[in-house]
Amino acid sequence: MSLRALWIISHEKGENASVRFSRRFATVEHRYKSLAGSSYVSVPEDSNFLQLLLTELGLSRSNKNFVAARDDCLYRPRSPAVELCLDGKKTLWPVLALSQGPLILACLPLVDIPSESRPPLASLLSVSQGLTLLAGLQAFLFSSGGKLDNEGLVARVAALPSLLLQICPLGTPLDIPLVGTPATPTVPTSAVNQKQPAWKTGLHRGRPTVNVAVVETVRSMQFGDQSRQDLWDVYGTVTCKCEVEGVLPNVTVTLSLPHNGSPLQDILVHPCVTSLDLSILTASSLDNADGSAFSGPYKFPFSPPLEPFRLCSYTSQVPVPPILGSYQLKEEENSLRVNVSLKLHESVKNSFEFCEALLPFFNRNQMGNVDVKVSSGQVDVTKEKNRLIWALGQKFPKSREVTLEGKITFSGSSQGPSDPLCTGLTAYIELHLKVPDTTLSGCSVDQHSVQVYSSAKPKIITSRELQSKDYFIWNSTGPAPMSSGQMMT
Amino acid sequence: ELTLILKVFLALVLLTLSGSLQVLLLVPLCEHPFLLCSSESAGEETALDLMSVFLQCPPRSQQFRCHLLVALTSVLICSSCAGSRSRASLDFLDLLLQVAQDTSDHHGDSSPLCLRNTAAECLREMEASCPGLLSQRLELLGGLRQQETSRLHQAYAGLQVLVLRNAVLHLTKESGAGAAQLKALLGGPSCADQDVFQMDANDPAVQASLVLGPMGRVPTLPTGPDCKELRSILSSLLEESYLLSPLCQAALLHRLIEVVAMAPGIPPAIFRAQLLRLLGTNQVALLHVTLLMKCAFTDSLFSAEDEAFLLKRLLVLSQHPVLSASERLFYMDCILHFPENRPISCGDSDEALPVLLTPQLASILLPTVLNDSATLLARLHLQALVFLEDGEEEGGGGLAYIYDLLGALLHMVDRGGSRDLVVTFFRAAFLFLLYFHHVERYSARLSQQLCQLYLQHPLLAPHILNLADRTQDHLPESDWAVGLLQGLQRAITGAPGGQLTLPDLSCHLKVLSRAAEEGNISPCSTLRFLSAVFTSSLLCSGSNWCLGNGVLGVCRRVLLHPSLDSLFGPLADVLLHLACNYGDSDIQDHARLYFSLLTTLSREKLSAVLQGAAEGQVKKRALSCVMAESEGLTNALSVHQTDRAVLRLTEAGPGPLQEPLFEQLFSIRLHFRLTDHHYHPLPDASVPLLHRQRPPPELTLTLQPRRPHPTTIRVAAIFTAKDGLTWHSDMPDLHVAFQQTFLPLPVPSTWSRASRVAVFEALWEEAESEAGVWAVSLFCCQLGEAHLKALLQTHFLPFLLSDSSLEDGFRVLWFLPPRSHVLLKISREDDATLFKMATDDRQLLPHINDYLLEVTSTAAIRQLGSEPEHRS
Repeated sequence: MSLRALWIISHEKGENASVRFSRRFATVEHRYKSLAGSSYVSVPEDSNFLQLLLTELGLSRSNKNFVAARDDCLYRPRSPAVELCLDGKKTLWPVLALSQGPLILACLPLVDIPSESRPPLASLLSVSQGLTLLAGLQAFLFSSGGKLDNEGLVARVAALPSLLLQICPLGTPLDIPLVGTPATPTVPTSAVNQKQPAWKTGLHRGRPTVNVAVVETVRSMQFGDQSRQDLWDVYGTVTCKCEVEGVLPNVTVTLSLPHNGSPLQDILVHPCVTSLDLSILTASSLDNADGSAFSGPYKFPFSPPLEPFRLCSYTSQVPVPPILGSYQLKEEENSLRVNVSLKLHESVKNSFEFCEALLPFFNRNQMGNVDVKVSSGQVDVTKEKNRLIWALGQKFPKSREVTLEGKITFSGSSQGPSDPLCTGLTAYIELHLKVPDTTLSGCSVDQHSVQVYSSAKPKIITSRELQSKDYFIWNSTGPAPMSSGQMMT
Repeated sequence: ELTLILKVFLALVLLTLSGSLQVLLLVPLCEHPFLLCSSESAGEETALDLMSVFLQCPPRSQQFRCHLLVALTSVLICSSCAGSRSRASLDFLDLLLQVAQDTSDHHGDSSPLCLRNTAAECLREMEASCPGLLSQRLELLGGLRQQETSRLHQAYAGLQVLVLRNAVLHLTKESGAGAAQLKALLGGPSCADQDVFQMDANDPAVQASLVLGPMGRVPTLPTGPDCKELRSILSSLLEESYLLSPLCQAALLHRLIEVVAMAPGIPPAIFRAQLLRLLGTNQVALLHVTLLMKCAFTDSLFSAEDEAFLLKRLLVLSQHPVLSASERLFYMDCILHFPENRPISCGDSDEALPVLLTPQLASILLPTVLNDSATLLARLHLQALVFLEDGEEEGGGGLAYIYDLLGALLHMVDRGGSRDLVVTFFRAAFLFLLYFHHVERYSARLSQQLCQLYLQHPLLAPHILNLADRTQDHLPESDWAVGLLQGLQRAITGAPGGQLTLPDLSCHLKVLSRAAEEGNISPCSTLRFLSAVFTSSLLCSGSNWCLGNGVLGVCRRVLLHPSLDSLFGPLADVLLHLACNYGDSDIQDHARLYFSLLTTLSREKLSAVLQGAAEGQVKKRALSCVMAESEGLTNALSVHQTDRAVLRLTEAGPGPLQEPLFEQLFSIRLHFRLTDHHYHPLPDASVPLLHRQRPPPELTLTLQPRRPHPTTIRVAAIFTAKDGLTWHSDMPDLHVAFQQTFLPLPVPSTWSRASRVAVFEALWEEAESEAGVWAVSLFCCQLGEAHLKALLQTHFLPFLLSDSSLEDGFRVLWFLPPRSHVLLKISREDDATLFKMATDDRQLLPHINDYLLEVTSTAAIRQLGSEPEHRS
């Protein structure tokens, strides 16, 4: 349940890589020595480790060539735990590595099962502990808002020793760093009889406020082809920010569905939820939803931490995608004839924060003449001249259908971007949209259903939102990449 | 006992005023106590020093005090002081307990909390590394946890449960221990018959996880149903587990699982109240510990419905959109090691599908080209297992789906995918073949498609050959790899040769050479291809050495081919052409050699010669031979490092080497590195051969001093071993002693003794008159007459100018190159022996003194004869 070492590495696309921070946990190493006996493999020096890890992750200079130790076709599960080949026949395993942007976070969990052969990853609790700690540290290092500049990184790395003293002083991870500080000042606990949760750093004082936001994300793959079934799915997350007095205040949030709504499935809850009903958990996307399935209300009693948190997340099988599209390309000499239509389903609120369609073109020259007409919205060509942006504005017209027609010539002087997937007539439209105050599943939190056990009257704010991610409409005149879901019946 | 570096370190820690610098200084002690405190006594002393720093440290520097506790813990555990219950470690334990219990809030801020938290964590680590250390304090720790209302109860809970677990584990190993002993243990130290536990911390079983699953055997404690006390402790810990951070909760539950598994008196149902909360969690560590719980208790806690539910849950989590990629991959791994209530296989590292996993359920994890490579391969692996189980090869949609996926990947590779994509495709292809190579309609098509792909992208040769090799290794009964190689050969030799480029050709040669290794593939077309290539512009007057080697490599394999007899003519043509027309003489020579081998030797001899060369050591010596074998390049061309010194330079006769790594060494190149500037650099030296059975060769090293001081020279050797590999080995340091710099008076040998003495006297006079240049000193010791004689005989003879004592003593003169002199007058006065000395280099005085001390020391004299009386 402990880690032997921890590394934080920065790099710029594999160049200028350096170990920004590393920590070896000597007492855990001491234990590992006696556990491993003759199969003990020591932790390599930082520089050596860096080189090995970069090679394994395909980030080192020899990226292009075939490296037998890395590129062998023999399958061994490489992720989330990679294996690094040290000198001779020794290997370092299991190295957990999380890579995001210019940072790689890695740790080496303790293998506490003495065994001749390598124990399965699933039998080592230290692996899931390590994954959790790395993800927490990653969130901490990136907490300035996604972008990471060098100064920000230096400041955060400098804070690590005192942070680790709190959350992992001797190699056993106790907690993950707090990201997102409480909005209101808190007071430390004084003499109270109730035990304070370890995940709560202080107590809130002031008027109770509960903020619950439901955000649903819709993904889709549309092929416009009779033989291939279009795919879409919806998942939602419920985020809460609670400012409530007391050591362990009770709050209950209830999600409800409209009368004919499809049930929420695959529900995951935050550890602060105190109890769960079995019927909430059993709805799974693996089962064919029938009318008898439990469809709410979904009650989540919990005692909130001070910082904002994700109370629960779910998936839902909605009967139709919000926008049904068709995309047709016809190759003409050095140009493409384009035909697009998008239809907004009648059940979806016609009031967007934004809605735009991106039409990228790969493996071709830059665009020359673009002659397209749209029935609504406005079309721009990006500066790089390799894609169209069709901004549809806040509303679809009354017919709820928009079209784009025209011809694009690829007569530009230089080559546009390349992509191994989108060759020939394989092309897609990507939709980006956000619709405030709606959800596809119909899931909502009624203000009056939020219960707070508090002496003062709480202020309750609830909101809903629908957004898209990976919403693709493939050209139906070209081969679309295969996707799951259409073969099993 | 403390090393100097450690002393300096501790002094710095004490002196440094700035808190952050002090904390930084502690980092090496925390991270590398093995290096700094390698012995128990060093650890003990360091710990005592650090503890006194801790006590002197003002309470307001909390951070530093916390770091000090961590450093102390690391030092005591890693230097084995804690394991042997040393005085310092017991003192430290008391200190920790005192800090942990100190609830007085000194400054009204939250920092004492931090210190107490760290102390509790240090106690937990001490107990983890020395199981049983705190067993006697169980009641105290339980009380601490229960009374604590601040967040600290988390640290105490982790500590208490670990001590409890270790104590129960200890009882299971005691013969006759049962409910009464357990009760006594939980009741505290009052019980007289309880000794301090001394569990063997070196017994790995004590520290290893006890969650072994139904096939493992956990030691149990026969308590009967009466263990109320234990049950109430466990219930209270479980009840409060909700208040812990998810990481601590998971760790606590893991320990509790171990305790319940050891105590049959406690039903696993004690966990039931927590289960729903755990099954619904979004925390990977909590769900993981639930799986471990299932592994430990199987159907005594999880019903068949629970099992089905958990499996579905894992499937859902393996692709849940809100989880991270690594979490999803981890859950997928958990599916392949699903803890079943009634497992069929018992191998603990074998991957097996859960019985309940149907193709229908698994279809949620079908791979697509839009997956990242790790996910794609993991899903492909899972599906392959599912389809195999389901008898899909009879013809079902599943296999067709996977094959389509392979096709789509291949298409992307064909369109110039990234390295990652290429590797992913070949891994996917290997996985497919591993499970479905016997499904002819797919494996044959794959082979065809690979050949087409290769023709478009010859640079994929290493990947394709790797795939062929791996399938051959793992599927010895399948001839798929041979089919692929044959297809590749056909594709290469059948393609129009007009537009061949150099890089393509060298890839082709690699593939053809590999194909020629297969006895079932006739190299006829290969040879035709080679002759055709020669007539093209590329090779006819080529002088590219690498390319020539590529061709030679193919020829070499053909020479070993079973159907060589029928290939005689075409092969001879190719070799002759190379020998006569190729633009590189090395290639010509080799071609000529192969040609004469081919034309003069019988088949048996030919293969014996070539095979012998391939297996023996001869071939790897020369680079061109290495090239001919091209694959083992890196191994043969890189320098290998020995773990320890395998040879050493000795002054006198050789001492025995450690167990020999090598029998013979060749072309040994010795490299010398000076550690100071007293000598001119030494050139590298060569020794042609070192054989264990023969006397070691003598090597003369000529040292040229700048200043005649003692020195140490680092020595390293690069040599070739019998197996043809090149090795680098550090050798023991070479020490040059002060006396090794002495030379006799540099005058012609014809000079008489009297003239030499005259020179001495003249110099002595100069020394006494010119005190600025010369330094004069005196060394005296108690040395008997006989001893002095012996001393002169042993050490001073070459430098002695007078064989009998003049009235004021013996004359000794050392010349120390390049330009220093030391003059000694050695005489006896009363019972003391006086060494009057004069030197024109006063920096030599300390060395002279050391040297004289050494040769007149008790031990040295004992070697000469008997004890000296006294030295001053």
